[in-house]
Amino acid sequence: MKRILIVDDSFYMRTMLKNMLSDAGYEIVGEAPNGQTALELAKETKPDLITLDVILPDSTGLEVLKGIRQEQPDQKVIIVSAVGQEVIVNEAMEYGAKSYIVKPFSEENVLEVVSKVLAEEAPES
Amino acid sequence: MPKTSKTNKKAEPEAALTAPPETTSAEVAASEAGKGEATVSEAARELVSPEMVHLIVFKLGTEEYAIRIDQVKEVTVTPEITRMPRTPDFVKGVANIRGDIIAIIDLARRFNIRPDAAAVGVSSSYTLVVETDTYSIGVDVKEVPQSLNLPLTKIDKTPSFLQDVSVSENFIEGIAKTDNRLIIVLDMHKILTHEEVNQLPNL
Amino acid sequence: MKSREQEYKEIFIAEALEYFDALNRHISTLEKEPESEETLAEIFRLLHNLKANSKAIGYLQISDVSHKLETAFSLIRNKELSFSDEVVKVLFDGVDLLGELIHNVDNPNYGEPDPLLLRNLDIIVENLSDSTIELAKVQRYNTSKNLSLSELIYIQIRKLDHMMNLVGELMIDRDRVLSISRELNSDELKSVSSHLYRITEELQYSVMDARLVNIGSLFNKFPRIVRDVAAAEGKQVNLVLEGHDIQIDRNILQIMADSLLHLVRNAITHGLEKPEERQAAGKDTTGQLRLAAQSDRENVLLRLIDDGRGIDLNVVRRTAVEKQLVSADAARSMGEHEVLSLLFEPGFSTAKEVTEFSGRGVGLDVVKNAIDSIGGRISVSSVKGSGTTFSMQLPTSIAVKGALLFEVDSIYFAIPLIHTEQVVSLDKDELHEVGGVLIADLKGETVTVVYLNELLNAPEQEMRLGDKTRLNGQVQNIIIVSYNNRKLGLIVDKLYRQQDIVVKALSKPLDQIDIYGGVTLLGTGKVCLVLDVPAITRYFTQRRQI
Repeated sequence: MKRILIVDDSFYMRTMLKNMLSDAGYEIVGEAPNGQTALELAKETKPDLITLDVILPDSTGLEVLKGIRQEQPDQKVIIVSAVGQEVIVNEAMEYGAKSYIVKPFSEENVLEVVSKVLAEEAPES
Repeated sequence: MPKTSKTNKKAEPEAALTAPPETTSAEVAASEAGKGEATVSEAARELVSPEMVHLIVFKLGTEEYAIRIDQVKEVTVTPEITRMPRTPDFVKGVANIRGDIIAIIDLARRFNIRPDAAAVGVSSSYTLVVETDTYSIGVDVKEVPQSLNLPLTKIDKTPSFLQDVSVSENFIEGIAKTDNRLIIVLDMHKILTHEEVNQLPNL
Repeated sequence: MKSREQEYKEIFIAEALEYFDALNRHISTLEKEPESEETLAEIFRLLHNLKANSKAIGYLQISDVSHKLETAFSLIRNKELSFSDEVVKVLFDGVDLLGELIHNVDNPNYGEPDPLLLRNLDIIVENLSDSTIELAKVQRYNTSKNLSLSELIYIQIRKLDHMMNLVGELMIDRDRVLSISRELNSDELKSVSSHLYRITEELQYSVMDARLVNIGSLFNKFPRIVRDVAAAEGKQVNLVLEGHDIQIDRNILQIMADSLLHLVRNAITHGLEKPEERQAAGKDTTGQLRLAAQSDRENVLLRLIDDGRGIDLNVVRRTAVEKQLVSADAARSMGEHEVLSLLFEPGFSTAKEVTEFSGRGVGLDVVKNAIDSIGGRISVSSVKGSGTTFSMQLPTSIAVKGALLFEVDSIYFAIPLIHTEQVVSLDKDELHEVGGVLIADLKGETVTVVYLNELLNAPEQEMRLGDKTRLNGQVQNIIIVSYNNRKLGLIVDKLYRQQDIVVKALSKPLDQIDIYGGVTLLGTGKVCLVLDVPAITRYFTQRRQI
């Protein structure tokens, strides 16, 4: 079972994502409401995938992404953003995010992106 | 406990025996008198190596046994024990001690200790509530338990006879010798070994 | 799916109200410190989340107003809009409007937001700071508004567990106080303790109620699972879910989750046939799988019904003999109920092939253990060729159980009511010594009876379960218990009342002894041992075979 960490400051968003993903058979290894917790949980749980919100109370998704990739260079991360944040998304992709989901998202869209990213071969290291 | 008594020891090395007020008894007083005969060299050794252990001493059969005080949660008058059918014979039953229901263990049966002929028919009157990380049990004793402070060095941790004792008897932490008394110090963490806990009838 | 939508909505509102309160706080800070980057960023984040969440759930008015406010604040952040008094007023009005919209998401009579206010928001957002268009005067909302906090809070389950334990302890003390008040015969104490009784009872039900969740929160996970398993097995399955709204203790549901998953997978892999096979048998190619919950007095009845091939009793008999669970003779003489109960024996599994989803070496015995652990019951019925039904009777709440109190050899015992069928008094002459056990005829049904004192207290070598001379007295009080489709009569010495008890788990090392489900303290302070009916039944069966 693939293991996913959800990073989002909104409880509502986390609940929706968690339900969608766990219904689809993924294991949710943790939920982080802020950047600090996200970094700790990423290190601790070493998930197969992280969904990362771009606006967080204590940090930005970009900073969290950089932090995660410093420790775990092969960590798969999907950016979750709202419409109008294309700039951030582009930058995140440069920093190694695998794909992105735009809020409000549909279940099909989320599951498609997640399964696509998870299916990608892990980079040689 | 041992820490606070340590400072006491430095000040008055000759008073090796102290007892908390609630357990002061004729027996304690008697052994205190015996302690007066301790040799100077013993007192001197205590000064050099003042680490003390505080034990609760009680009688099983004709021998004296002891448990470190930090493993004893409380000493209480034995409450009403409810027998529990189909448990090993060393389990006397369960009792309600301040709302907690705990198993009361008969250590004499557990260790196959021959009862003291003089004490046959005397019913148990005190229960030591022993608490470890893994279990909490009551240990039944007939006479009022005594409190005893003595230097750690007086406990022989590796008496040679222990090598002759079967593995299941490795609950003995050591043998304390003081004033012509021989006290068997028990390691309560090992009294019910893992295997033995599992030997309880799993019906 | 209704309940999940309800859950989302509740979460949305609770969070939105939190955001609303935080927005009010930050916007007031901003008024005093218009340069505070941190406050601006926080306001921006809150509005951003509110916009995304309301859009996701479909509250478009909220997302629209949040969007306008978000835009206004990003203009302020980029110094394209000054935080002037006029602007501040519009922004406050906008935030108030958000609050009003959030409070009224459920109100069909709410209508439309004030168009003037929306226009003002548009003006500051679209016309930038040098706007010459006059902002319309909008009456400030705040003057007439009451302060209100969210109606919903989130609480960790362990806090509720703790409360439940405390209530349990309180009930034990309450019973003690009640019993003392009777002894002392003081009217005042009696009246206080009866009040205490009522209050604790209400407290108990309130805490139990707070722990209830909709069974739908588990049911909703099944459509996807069923789809995946059916696809992997090459089967067509139509899943019908019923009783989403039935409520049950959250921890019980959690414990049931794995068992139910196991049963559902089993039903698809072993119960339902492939389309060709169904067609050949004259059935619809799509198999029906129904998962239904209903309230059943104090309990919840869960049923999983499939219209598959059913269970072949002869295959079960043969397998049980092969696995040496029973002798060939015994298997032949077993009735349908008894045969089906073999399915729950440890080590029994008729699965011939190991599949990805079902063949994990986990048998129905694991399911039964889980259900036993919460004091529930499971039974199975099946008609060969037309399907199988698993019925599970679950308590709505764990900690407090109705129980029957009795005495054997001066020891108090209790048996949870969920396992008791009836209580009968029979004359000694109505008990018959047959094949090493006692049997009685109860309205045409032959029931095995055992003297509990003998079973519990006789030395194991000398136990004589079929010896009537061991009984005391002429009339025997018998509690008929039932477990795994089998009935067993337990002869007790004295029968007491029925009572709600709080079962305390036995602590180590006694927790290993499984004939006891725990202990409880009676009002008198005496310890009462709670018998575990499944384990007692097993022990009896074991003794009988020796």
